[in-house]
Amino acid sequence: MNILLMGHPNVGKSVVFNRITGANVSESNYSGTTVDYAKGYVRVGHKEMELIDVPGTFSLEPKDKAEEVAVKMLNENKDSVVICVIDSTKIERGLYLALEIIEMGNPVVIALNMQDVAEDKNIQINVEKLQKILGVPVVSTIAVSGKGMKELMFSVKKATSSNIKDIVENVGGNQ
Amino acid sequence: MEKKLSEMKYGEKGIVKSINGKLRDQVAGMGIRVNKKIKITSKQPINGPVVVTIDESSISLGRGVAGNIVVEVEK
Repeated sequence: MNILLMGHPNVGKSVVFNRITGANVSESNYSGTTVDYAKGYVRVGHKEMELIDVPGTFSLEPKDKAEEVAVKMLNENKDSVVICVIDSTKIERGLYLALEIIEMGNPVVIALNMQDVAEDKNIQINVEKLQKILGVPVVSTIAVSGKGMKELMFSVKKATSSNIKDIVENVGGNQ
Repeated sequence: MEKKLSEMKYGEKGIVKSINGKLRDQVAGMGIRVNKKIKITSKQPINGPVVVTIDESSISLGRGVAGNIVVEVEK
């Protein structure tokens, strides 16, 4: 079983990857640094799992080469856990991608990254409520300092698939 | 007043009114949807892209895409 790191460009997927695996994939503050993908290994409990750093994508409808790679990888790893990394300061569009991934049926964990930046901008996120609505684990993280990485890996074990219908019901909307 | 995004000028603000058909799903991932506040950050010359700000993030859109998004412009 694999773990896929997915999210928008420039939300810190590669930083999370480096934090978890101890690898040294190039990180920079530009969108689209990862065009190819990187693989690493992590031990979760007693199992060794393959962690894949997927290029950033805005949605699951690919518009360019890097996004094509991302979508293809998700399709090729049907049963793998997806860690969806979201920029806490741009949570709305991040959740759009998260919902698309949940819709694919993979078990998902959401990492609300850049929590420190969000706090600076006075953005507060009710993690527990979000967790209840989405039905998947949600973890606040600061990848550059390593905060939340342990919790993130713990939740990988608990990751479950969620159902869009239930989510819509939870927010009281209609489809 | 309603205007196409491509017709808006630098500095103008507004609220997205409608997005043409197929494009809706394409731009949704970038945070553009109906009823969102939008601001023109810059407009590149020679039919270059339009840069807009939504939720404090900048997104650049080609003129073709921008021509299919209608915005209610704030005065």
